[in-house]
Amino acid sequence: MSAGRSAPGWWVVLGQELRDVWLGGRGPALTFAFSLILSAVAYLVATNTALNFLEQREAVGLIVQVSVAMGGILVVIAAADAISGERDRGTLEALLLAPVPRRQIAAGKLAAALSLWPAAFLVALPYVWFLGRGVGVVGDAVVVGLLVGTLLALELGALGLVVSLFAGSNRVSLALSLFVLLALFAPTQLSAGAQQGWAGDLMLRANPLTAGVHYVGRVLVDGHSLGSEADLLVAPAVAAIVLATVALLASGRMHLRPGGAR
Amino acid sequence: MAAAVVAERVGRDYGAVCAVSDLSFEVEPGDVVGVLGRNGAGKTTSIRVLTTIVAPTRGRFAVAGVPHTRPDEIRRRIGVLPEGGGYPARQTGEEHLVYHARLRGASRPSARAAAAALLEEFGLADRARTPLHAYSLGMRRRLGIARALVNDPAVVFLDEPTLGLDPAGRRVVLDHVRAVAGGRGAAVLLSTHLLDDVEACCTRVLILHHGRTVAAGTVSEVVALAAAPRSAVVRVAPDDARRAVAVLAATPGVGGAGEAPDRPGELRVDLAAGNGAADPAAALRALLDADIAPLGLTVEGARLSDAFLEMTGAA
Repeated sequence: MSAGRSAPGWWVVLGQELRDVWLGGRGPALTFAFSLILSAVAYLVATNTALNFLEQREAVGLIVQVSVAMGGILVVIAAADAISGERDRGTLEALLLAPVPRRQIAAGKLAAALSLWPAAFLVALPYVWFLGRGVGVVGDAVVVGLLVGTLLALELGALGLVVSLFAGSNRVSLALSLFVLLALFAPTQLSAGAQQGWAGDLMLRANPLTAGVHYVGRVLVDGHSLGSEADLLVAPAVAAIVLATVALLASGRMHLRPGGAR
Repeated sequence: MAAAVVAERVGRDYGAVCAVSDLSFEVEPGDVVGVLGRNGAGKTTSIRVLTTIVAPTRGRFAVAGVPHTRPDEIRRRIGVLPEGGGYPARQTGEEHLVYHARLRGASRPSARAAAAALLEEFGLADRARTPLHAYSLGMRRRLGIARALVNDPAVVFLDEPTLGLDPAGRRVVLDHVRAVAGGRGAAVLLSTHLLDDVEACCTRVLILHHGRTVAAGTVSEVVALAAAPRSAVVRVAPDDARRAVAVLAATPGVGGAGEAPDRPGELRVDLAAGNGAADPAAALRALLDADIAPLGLTVEGARLSDAFLEMTGAA
């Protein structure tokens, strides 16, 4: 039984979860749906560019923003299923019976959910290259997309995991996670006037999603340097660290019944 | 040799509801202990407490010599088939066992070797690469028991392993349960409300009622606690029936006897109402002394099921 080297529990969980996500069909299906949406957006953006309605930098910025937002949605969908899904399918007890600390189980599942983000960004790269070729924005788009997308994916994945730990059912977990996500995205749909002034600026910078999306716009569309707008990354970075920490701490209370006492 | 499980006044509450109270017993290595109780008696909660899925509200216990304050260490030394089973539909049998062996610290090659050996032992080798959604209920139960053995545990907990199985499937599962205790020397706690399963393979019994232990001991000890022969059916040659009734009626320990209507040669014997202790053997001796050959004897009221019904108030 002990011949060879045993892997840490989170690594074993991650391996199995990656198999479930990617070979089980959920990951490819979600990524395919994402690629369809991105194709539709890219087509509209490209045709608008031909009519000179949208500059190339704006087109790339829009594609990166859509990729970051959709990547976050994919991660939150996977993370929201992580624990409540096991509960609903009746497989959580067998997992909790393993001599693996519950935080490691949660860490493995969170890491597997996060794997959807790089996959989504890989899908977006050809679109970024196609729309941004010739104006020197592709390199910045890749860096900015990876930076912002990774921070948002981490915070949204952690959010989904926390909700999944305490939700009464998988449906509740998914619905609640998506509701919070949409609520965070809502300010991006406010009129430009509503985003002016100190209150608008505070709302923009304090909300990690709006701050991240605006950072993408400032760098890729307005042509600012990566460092000059770094203050917009404070909220996404803080949210990612805080939510990931909360998720790992809360996962110590992972129980057979949602929120049940040990 | 140290006891495999020692529980001392273990209790578990859910809010104001007491699910288990004063659970006390010991299990030795190699024992197969049947944990009996009606629905809601606290069987599953007891197993969840002992397997560290939920913490006890009071009391203490040790499994394989490890105190309950070290749940990770206990989980390393036990194997469990939980009530719900827990079989991910998309995993194959082989993947499932390899995954659980690795979660318990086995390297990938060791996990594969253990999985292959267990699949062979449980007759699932030819379905190793089949997804679990295509397994029958009996196959899943066998796989669940195999999963409980991937870490060569000192104690195995099986929660309702034969529930819903056909007679052949039940027999196969119970054969495996006996082999786990006999062949591997592991202690087995088998939670069930199927009394036949307990009589078929358990060396000891623990009866729970409303979260309390109402009896513990060997099957015969528990039967002696509450069950007693109440009646018997004796078969004799039809020509001897009338004389046999007279002989039995005069036998100490027999309250009365009569011929069963429409069943020539079958006598119903009342043991419980006799003067003195009920004694089926005395009835047999009396028939033999009177040169009446008994062709069959079935004693009623002295089985584990009778004791169980008496103790749990369902008689």
